[in-house]
Amino acid sequence: MTIYKLLLLFYPRVWRARYEEEFLVTLASRPFSFVEGMDVLRGALDAHLHPCLGTATTPFAEKMRQMCSTLRCSLLTIFCAAVGFLLAGLSFQKMTDDAPFHEVAQTSGVVSLSFHLGVIGAVVALLAVLAGSLPIAVAVIRFAHEQKRRSFFLLFAVPILVYAFLLGVSFFLKTMAHPDLWPARQLFLTRSLLFGIVIVAIVASLSTACYAVARSEIPEKFLYFALFVSFLATISMALVEVSILIWGLGLHDGAPQIFSGNNGLVGSSTAGT
Amino acid sequence: MGVPDFGRFSDPSLLILSSLAGGKKHGYAILEDVETFAHVRLGTGTLYGAIARLEESSLIEALATEERGRRPYRLTTAGMAFLREQLTSMEALATLGLRRLATL
Repeated sequence: MTIYKLLLLFYPRVWRARYEEEFLVTLASRPFSFVEGMDVLRGALDAHLHPCLGTATTPFAEKMRQMCSTLRCSLLTIFCAAVGFLLAGLSFQKMTDDAPFHEVAQTSGVVSLSFHLGVIGAVVALLAVLAGSLPIAVAVIRFAHEQKRRSFFLLFAVPILVYAFLLGVSFFLKTMAHPDLWPARQLFLTRSLLFGIVIVAIVASLSTACYAVARSEIPEKFLYFALFVSFLATISMALVEVSILIWGLGLHDGAPQIFSGNNGLVGSSTAGT
Repeated sequence: MGVPDFGRFSDPSLLILSSLAGGKKHGYAILEDVETFAHVRLGTGTLYGAIARLEESSLIEALATEERGRRPYRLTTAGMAFLREQLTSMEALATLGLRRLATL
């Protein structure tokens, strides 16, 4: 496969169906350079951000199908990213509680650095999400107030109620499901239940927020700003994931005993987590 | 007519429209022409990003492929009007700027 065809793989399928052939001919007409390669990659990012491009001659029904498919993919990506981030964060938080970790963190530079990078990445990602979503949330509330759509306020209450419910369940399990009182199997089940509730909470919060935003009039500048900060959040989340991976490998070298028990997520194998 | 906002593709779009004002051209011919008359070297990603926007806004239209990978484009009536409007506005700006410079 030539470098040209490889670069074209970064473009969306719809875009490739329309422009691939002529794009390849034009690209191959000039000597390839690094600058040209970067320009093509930038174009690919732009094509993903503007999925309507390349559909000028597509029938309306097909356009609608593509739009729904893009929307579904976007929501699934957000959901997978949220779950992945949550899993990484929970594992991270759980394993940094132990005393052996603190000893290794003080002696190993890799473990200490990756730990701090993970924390910094998480904070930046959280701030970016807050910065991007706050103007949109205000716009939705303003829209709901102007249009007298009280149901939108209820939709916004869902994530808060779900979070409160989650806190309540966590508190209940922490009080009732004590490791000394409950058998391991029961503990595993209750923790799995908690994990299941967390997933349902993510789905409920994302769905209601998306529903409210999709049915409101949001100024375009807010959406563009959100696009920029979501890019920043994605980079930060990737940094967190990579940091945790390095941190886990470093910790495994420095303190292998931490990985021998069953102190992982929902009482599973620590090494597996 | 409403002026489409092409963002960072505004300048490349204007260059492409100006190139097509000289007759129908395919992608590589547009790149060569723009490099000749404006001394601007457009990247292929930028070229097709702008072409896709111009096509989406019905300012240009694709013709039947002449040979493998050589699909020519031409200005539409709306494209001609848009280009005329843009160039007239630039001409007025240039005239005003030059007049003011002459008084210095």
